Amino acid sequence: MMLALEHVDLVYNAGRADEVVALRDLCLELDRGEFVTIVGTNGAGKSSLIQAIAGSARPTRGRVRLDGRDITRLPDYRRADQVARVFDDPRAGTAPELSIEDNLALAMSRGRRRGLRFALTGARRAVMRDRVAGLGLGLEHRLRDPVGLLSAGQRQSLTMIMAALAAPSVLLLDEHLAALDPGTSATVLELTRSVARELGCTAVMVTHNMDNALATGSRLLVMSRGRVIADLSGERKAQMTVQGLIDAITGAGDSLSDRSALAEAGNN
Amino acid sequence: MVNVLVDMLVTGLPLVPVFLGIYTVFRVRADFDLTVEGSFVTGGAACALALLHGWPGWLSLISGLAAGAACGLVTSALHLLLRIPVLLAGLIMSIGLFSVNLYVMGTPTLSLGTADTLFSRFSSLSYVQAGLATAAVMGGIVAVVLVAFALFLRTEVGLALRATGVNARMARSQGVNDRWLTVLSLAVANGLAGVGAAMTVQYQGYADVNMGTGTFVAGVGAVLLGELLTRPSGSKIIRIVACVLAGTLAYQLVLTSALRIGLPAGDLKGVTALTLVVAIAAERYLGVLGDSARRLRQAAQVRVPRTGQETA
Repeated sequence: MMLALEHVDLVYNAGRADEVVALRDLCLELDRGEFVTIVGTNGAGKSSLIQAIAGSARPTRGRVRLDGRDITRLPDYRRADQVARVFDDPRAGTAPELSIEDNLALAMSRGRRRGLRFALTGARRAVMRDRVAGLGLGLEHRLRDPVGLLSAGQRQSLTMIMAALAAPSVLLLDEHLAALDPGTSATVLELTRSVARELGCTAVMVTHNMDNALATGSRLLVMSRGRVIADLSGERKAQMTVQGLIDAITGAGDSLSDRSALAEAGNN
Repeated sequence: MVNVLVDMLVTGLPLVPVFLGIYTVFRVRADFDLTVEGSFVTGGAACALALLHGWPGWLSLISGLAAGAACGLVTSALHLLLRIPVLLAGLIMSIGLFSVNLYVMGTPTLSLGTADTLFSRFSSLSYVQAGLATAAVMGGIVAVVLVAFALFLRTEVGLALRATGVNARMARSQGVNDRWLTVLSLAVANGLAGVGAAMTVQYQGYADVNMGTGTFVAGVGAVLLGELLTRPSGSKIIRIVACVLAGTLAYQLVLTSALRIGLPAGDLKGVTALTLVVAIAAERYLGVLGDSARRLRQAAQVRVPRTGQETA
């Protein structure tokens, strides 16, 4: 077991009229190299789980452990070397005003002390060109272009490369395909699989697309109201159907979000 | 005409570090720090006191730098410890520093008298010659500051600083400690204001407790003017320093011209405000023109795809 959440509660606005319980006594253990997909309705706690692992939200109760080390109180920027994250909004993972090479250089310094060394060097540019060329988008010829000129899919692919640069042990994907068109979404999903495989890291992918959730990864979690209500792997995951997943979610008393329903309609 | 240009240089060059500091917070960090209205005076006062204690001119510049940076550290402490916006922390500082500065100086206007400054050896020359010699020394100092700043922006810390202003969430997810960068940027910005104030004080021969009033607005005006001229952006570092240099001198040219054509000194604040309005209006209006030109260029590039672009 490498990533563990022990009895984690995450409560926003505790004790006030607008109190929201995002995670409720959540226990979860993830092994090294496991690729976990998470489905659930809006408000089920999927993104809160991602934030608790990333460190951008601190649990109200419970522990988060990485390789046995208690990281519950470690702020997001201090676990960024081990926990990489790709956001749902393609604009969130990159700095639009900065060039592609500056964005990549920022990611390359992740996990080491930033000093007065030059951020861009010939050696670093060579690594960048090599990594970016693998995308097949021609970005290796556009390293000096501002990222703001890239399309959503290109930016999400770049964010994926940036996430992989510092060899994290956990890769968090928070609905990172949601803003992409079907074709681009498939390409970025394929990139996600290959990056996770190459890194050998634990990947956690939140998605509203039931097909992707079933077809990707080795384990599937269904969340509802801050808890994991179904944990499928191996044979049970292989035999699960889209309808079965939807039944599991609605059976928990949640109504499917429009987004999931739409994604569903689009796939049938 | 020559007089106007000399005036522009000797009064404008000391402001280049000050406005570079304002650019750092206002554009690189996308925040507002009003501390500069007070730290500018603190830096000038520290320099004047150092000179009056017989310190050499260059060492007095360093004392101005240190005093300004210390003000920035207090502002960042207020911001981080009390969890108030930088804008509010700076506002508190700009008001509070007035009393501190008055106490430090002991008098509203502290004259340097016969103390040796960086520029006092030029006093025997004619007006234009003395001005040019002064401008040359100032230009040397400004060049060192601009080059050092440009190199700093290219470092890993400088890149992290540029990223936090554009997308703080992304910067944190890449392991950047933005609290520490807030401290660093405020210390650097106000330290630069202190250096500029030290140059101003050595040139004009006195420090005044009101000399910082309006610095922030003037700096923003100069930055906007400079942006019209050089169109800087996050990764175009040479354009950033060029923007500050050109903007400061253009702004100062407007002011010295206004004085030379006989406007009373009291009108200068009005001229500053007008310059700011014109710069903003031009930014809006010319920005639209620039955007359509850029779209046209991009459309042209799509038709003729670039191949094998150099990445030297």
